[in-house]
Amino acid sequence: MNRWKSAAAVAVAAALALTGCSGGAKSTSSAGTGSTSGGTLTLGLIAQATTFSAADINWANEAPYGQAVFDGLLRANPDGTIVPWLAASYSYDTALTKLTMKLRTDVKFTDGTAFDADVAAQNIKRFRDGASPNKSLLAQVSDAKAVDPATLEIDLKAPDPALVTALTQNAGLMESPKAFTAADIKTNPVGSGPYTLDTKATVPGSSYTFNKNATYWAKDTVKYDKLVLKVFSDTTSMLNAIKGGQVNGANLTDNSLVDQVKATGYTINPQELDWTGLIILDRDGKLAKPLADPKVRQAMSYAFDRTALLKAIDKGYGTVTEQILPKSSPGYDAALDSTYTYDTAKAKALLAEAGYPNGFELSMPSSTLIPSSTWSIISSQLKDVGITVKYTDAGNNFISDMLAAKYPATWMRLQQDPTDWQIFNFEIAPSAVFNPFKASDDKVNAWGKTLQTGSAADAGAASKAMNAYIVQNAWFIPWYRVQSSFATDAKTTVKVQVGNAYPYLWNFAPKS
Amino acid sequence: MLSFVLRRLLSGAAMLVVITTIAFLMLYAGGGDIARRILGQQATQEQVLQKAHDLGLDQPVLTQYLNWLSNAVSGNFGQSWFNGQDVAAAMASRFPVTLSLVLGATILSAIFAVVLGVLAATRRGGWADRIVQVLSLLGFAIPGFLVALGLVIVFAINLGWFKPTGYTTPDEDFGAWLSSITLPVIALAIGGIASVTQQIRGSVIDALRQDYVRTLRSRGLSQNRVIFKHVLRNAGGPALAVLAVQFIGMFGGAVIVEQIFAIPGLGQVGVQATTQGDIPLVMGLVLVTATLVVVVNLAIDLLQGWLNPRVRLS
Repeated sequence: MNRWKSAAAVAVAAALALTGCSGGAKSTSSAGTGSTSGGTLTLGLIAQATTFSAADINWANEAPYGQAVFDGLLRANPDGTIVPWLAASYSYDTALTKLTMKLRTDVKFTDGTAFDADVAAQNIKRFRDGASPNKSLLAQVSDAKAVDPATLEIDLKAPDPALVTALTQNAGLMESPKAFTAADIKTNPVGSGPYTLDTKATVPGSSYTFNKNATYWAKDTVKYDKLVLKVFSDTTSMLNAIKGGQVNGANLTDNSLVDQVKATGYTINPQELDWTGLIILDRDGKLAKPLADPKVRQAMSYAFDRTALLKAIDKGYGTVTEQILPKSSPGYDAALDSTYTYDTAKAKALLAEAGYPNGFELSMPSSTLIPSSTWSIISSQLKDVGITVKYTDAGNNFISDMLAAKYPATWMRLQQDPTDWQIFNFEIAPSAVFNPFKASDDKVNAWGKTLQTGSAADAGAASKAMNAYIVQNAWFIPWYRVQSSFATDAKTTVKVQVGNAYPYLWNFAPKS
Repeated sequence: MLSFVLRRLLSGAAMLVVITTIAFLMLYAGGGDIARRILGQQATQEQVLQKAHDLGLDQPVLTQYLNWLSNAVSGNFGQSWFNGQDVAAAMASRFPVTLSLVLGATILSAIFAVVLGVLAATRRGGWADRIVQVLSLLGFAIPGFLVALGLVIVFAINLGWFKPTGYTTPDEDFGAWLSSITLPVIALAIGGIASVTQQIRGSVIDALRQDYVRTLRSRGLSQNRVIFKHVLRNAGGPALAVLAVQFIGMFGGAVIVEQIFAIPGLGQVGVQATTQGDIPLVMGLVLVTATLVVVVNLAIDLLQGWLNPRVRLS
């Protein structure tokens, strides 16, 4: 009998252990209500918050985390136009190397610290010198200082047309100076933003809960009492959460889900953020001599059936293009999109003119991170014109090896930044991240200089001329702008954001 | 007994060192530019190199491992390279979540396995036995993730009886907690029920053939009393061993289940950390699971001795 009593005790203990098994775990199953008065906004994200330290914070798919708790110096409307925020106004000097910002004087952080120009200057310098992958946004900042408590002055080494756009993003987020030395700065933010992070209800890497900031200076702009950001690293669980109505909005990682999501009653909010295609990295022919000849590059561009590629790889979700600039760019020219209409005969003729009648071998990286069909399609289309692609599996080092100038050309999907200056510095300039061979062209460099220092009209003209030149010389072989799809439920509206992978938090609203 | 326990704990500690060494080396053998993954596409090569240096990734692998080991011994498991969370805190918050799924699945497996196994054994050759064997076969054959997906689609999405994703803590709302773990526990338990049922069926059949059973029956004891008071104790040993293996295995199965149901347990963080190359988190996970194996094996040995005095150490 004693044994059975013992067994019963064990069973009771196990049951108690089960009920006690909450430990530090938090609930993650909250469903958004999206009601017109307060309520909860629940969003699905594919990225966790890498850090809440404003000096090191990420953007793009992590933008909502920073926007929830921090204010920025400026804000961007969905179409990219810039509006005042913590900075009520701003102006440049005639040399475009001194940005003066007049700041609000009625803002306090949630720890009671007042926001002023000195705090702003510290934040600017911390981001410039910090560990954010986007710290180069402030690379031209030589100094930031408080002229008076309400006036911030940012000095630049050289004009930077993208600076004010950067200040609408992570580079402009303001954190309380008392938090700078806090041991938990990465996980416990102190900002002046619309919400505060509920660390007790948050499971880092899984679900982040924010409560409305009761002392927020712009209360009228906040439409929800609570914000829950849920991380779905798995497509299936994201889709199931949508089908179960557990999120008010989520970024779809795969356009093949669009029809299923629509069938559940969600609205698809499309956006074209990235271009997809090939980058001719070795334009000077250091590794692959043929690529130095524009005719060879043009031949490669003629070799691709862009409409078929869009259908085969991204199920037709996107728009065929032959330029890397977005439609919102002053340099964009719709006529350029018919420069290289699919024509294998023309491609072969150009190769023959360039001295490669039998084609040549081209080395490119591949990776299992990308569906294998992409690699097959590239080699098949180039093979049709006589170019044999030799792939090397770069695995997880796909991007690193590419940026280390190990390959003359590569497939890539790159973001179309909101400003042409950013695109120039990221993909075109001799020092651009995606120009590992440091290829340089005097004409392009001159246009780049105008982008940097010219008036809006001059910069627009330079961008147009540069874009035409790059397309005609086939520096890149874009195939299409791929559609990214943001799904919202019947209770929620959203406006997608130009130049960002995730809609900005303040553009979500309950549907009235 | 005490010396037995101490010896097992010491050998367990040695095993932990071996396992963590192998895991650390495997993380590096997988290759990959971790610093680039942390910083993303926009970072310059200089930033990537600086990040690699800050994290000690440019040091020899053995040096990195010894640094980790010396910190781990003093209780410092570092911080996640991807979200800054303290590794020990992350393990502490997620372990109970996974444990609740695995314990629930184990208890469910044990209950159903005993009922089905005894039913099959006492009606050997009959229709009940055949049905139980077919069900066991199905339980083996159907992959756990398919079971999980099927449960989500039918009971959560189509019928709306449960939420398809997420987890509620029991102290916040006990009913919601039970609801949030029901489908994941069932998905995890299916395979366990199949294995343990077969084990119990076989052991009970063997036990029923023994002389002592005939003796007990001849003394007028009821069939239920014979089986549940006497036969199961003798048949329980091997079944318990299988259940212990299932218990450990369910932590692996929890990886898939937690992904599908978006449950914030060890499995979910394990997938994220491994994919990203978040070495501190992965090593923390390896340590937790390896320790669990040592502890569970020891507990099962002690339980076996309690069940059957003949296998106790003198």
